[in-house]
Amino acid sequence: MNVIFFYIIAAAILGFSILSVTSRKILRAATFLLFVLISTAALYFLLQVHFLAAVQLMVYAGGIAVLIIFSILLTSNVDFTFEKIDWKKQLFSGLLALGGAAITILTLLQFNFKALIQPQTVTPDIRSFGRAFLSYGDGGFVLPFEVITVLLLAAMVAAIMVAKKSKQ
Amino acid sequence: MSFESLLLMRHELLLLLAIVLLLIAEIGTNDSQKSIISPLAIILFALHTIVGFLPLQEGSLFGGMFNTTNIVATMKNILNLGVLIILLQSWKWLNAPENKVKVSEFYIVLFSTLLGMFYMISAGDFLMFYIGLEIATIPLAALAAFNRQENKSAEAGIKLLLSSALSSGILLYGISMIYGTTGSIYFAEISQSITGFEPLQVMAMIFFFSGMAFKISLVPFHLWTADVYEGAPVAITSYLSVISKGAAAFIFMVILFTVFKIFTPVWQDMMTAIAILTMTIGNLFALRQNNLKRYLAFSSIAQAGFILLGIISGTATGMATVVYFILVYIFSNLSAFGVVSIISAYTGKDSISDLNGMYKTNPKLSLALTLALFSLAGIPPVAGFFGKFFLFTAAAEKDFYILVLIALLNTIVSLYYYLMPVKAMFINKSELPIAYFKTDKISQLGLAISIIGMVVIGFASPVYETILSFCFGI
Repeated sequence: MNVIFFYIIAAAILGFSILSVTSRKILRAATFLLFVLISTAALYFLLQVHFLAAVQLMVYAGGIAVLIIFSILLTSNVDFTFEKIDWKKQLFSGLLALGGAAITILTLLQFNFKALIQPQTVTPDIRSFGRAFLSYGDGGFVLPFEVITVLLLAAMVAAIMVAKKSKQ
Repeated sequence: MSFESLLLMRHELLLLLAIVLLLIAEIGTNDSQKSIISPLAIILFALHTIVGFLPLQEGSLFGGMFNTTNIVATMKNILNLGVLIILLQSWKWLNAPENKVKVSEFYIVLFSTLLGMFYMISAGDFLMFYIGLEIATIPLAALAAFNRQENKSAEAGIKLLLSSALSSGILLYGISMIYGTTGSIYFAEISQSITGFEPLQVMAMIFFFSGMAFKISLVPFHLWTADVYEGAPVAITSYLSVISKGAAAFIFMVILFTVFKIFTPVWQDMMTAIAILTMTIGNLFALRQNNLKRYLAFSSIAQAGFILLGIISGTATGMATVVYFILVYIFSNLSAFGVVSIISAYTGKDSISDLNGMYKTNPKLSLALTLALFSLAGIPPVAGFFGKFFLFTAAAEKDFYILVLIALLNTIVSLYYYLMPVKAMFINKSELPIAYFKTDKISQLGLAISIIGMVVIGFASPVYETILSFCFGI
């Protein structure tokens, strides 16, 4: 049963991704991207990592996709259609993408994946995620958690800097 | 973990403190008091640089996510010195009336990117490495677009952002393969789990390699470089070309030496090809440039090719020569950029033909630029000669003779274009040379530090020996 669901979800991710890249209307591309993100969340639910699934839904599908759509609506002409790319470029980029995919898939299939032998230290519930985020010992993530705050601060200041007008 | 052990992060904590103090200063001052921000930032940063040179213990924190060793601390000090020089050199430009409104943001964002680089080079796992890398690139795009009203600057910002997003994607894909095959993000654990030539792991290494090649702007991943360097303000261009590049080259080398040491033959082959391409194409394109910033952009691409010569050897000597070369390169390139930024801040000119006859009107600046270009070309007695010479020795020690030969040929080509501005300044005649102007004291100080560094480091052998004693090979 799970296998069938997996293939359905995987097909959805793949299909929507292709639609998102090939769509010539920018708003449609963004909407397809939203579907890709939601399908990825479904994949996480299938793997029973609820926290990751929730984050995926809230941050990516809920936050980022909506932000993208907002900024499209605020800045560009929604009816704008990208020009059609001529068939030579389409052919070459298609061949390149297919070749890259073929190499990746072949090497992936060659690798002998083994389940990890080490005992699972973190059970995937919210409580242990919170502990891992705030612990500073082995396997703790408090440093990256705190350093990301610097990234957000710097990004915000940088955004203000770009938006600020000089007084002349 | 005791509170004192946090002092291992002295460089980072001090820089963070400077950022916070600047934020408070920005909030606490009104428009007429904004002129204290620049001196405050430079003094804070100078203190931070000086304290950085105090001896620091080796050790690791947060379960191995943060490591500091002597060579990492040295690298941080080198970056600090470079940024300090850039701050002094950008004084005049930053305090121009049209830029004054954004002064404190400039410092805060610049220091944050440096903080990211610090975390990146002392990372013990791919997560911290990646977060550091992003802090070092995303805000930088905003700095490149500092003069947003100018189309070229806005173009530089968006190009930097898009190309670094692409390269980060490639890099992350490689890291995800590593994590998928080894189940760990820690460098130490990964290097133990990789035991043979698994195609998937080799591919992960190639993705990682390509992602980093974007950041260091190696050919064929260099296409963004010239446009970004040309459009961005000179301060940011010099920051990108020495500080960002130096930090990225360093961590690239460390990860190749530790995590991917099993694949040494593979990455040595890749690097041979890329080094030859980078040196040759960088040099050939530099021949054709007239805009000084574009010219220095292609010269910095070619210099990155030379850095690979030290990495490729995989020895402690190789690592020491790379760090030493980065130090020398920071001083020489910043001298060149210093003169360019002074000329552009005072006269608004930035092409090689504008330099015609400049020796008659501004002899001191002309001499400074000449010394800097000599050092970049590798002409003795300036430090650039020793930097390049050591790199060649490191590669020759491991029998990369053909590569060294091609590098030597490239040095000869580079002599030609490094001497072009010199010829323009000293020999070419011009009806309208750049008129005489008096440079302000702070720009002079910045230029003086970098020139003294460039001359002295070549002769002070303890510098190289200290670096060598900290280094490790495969």
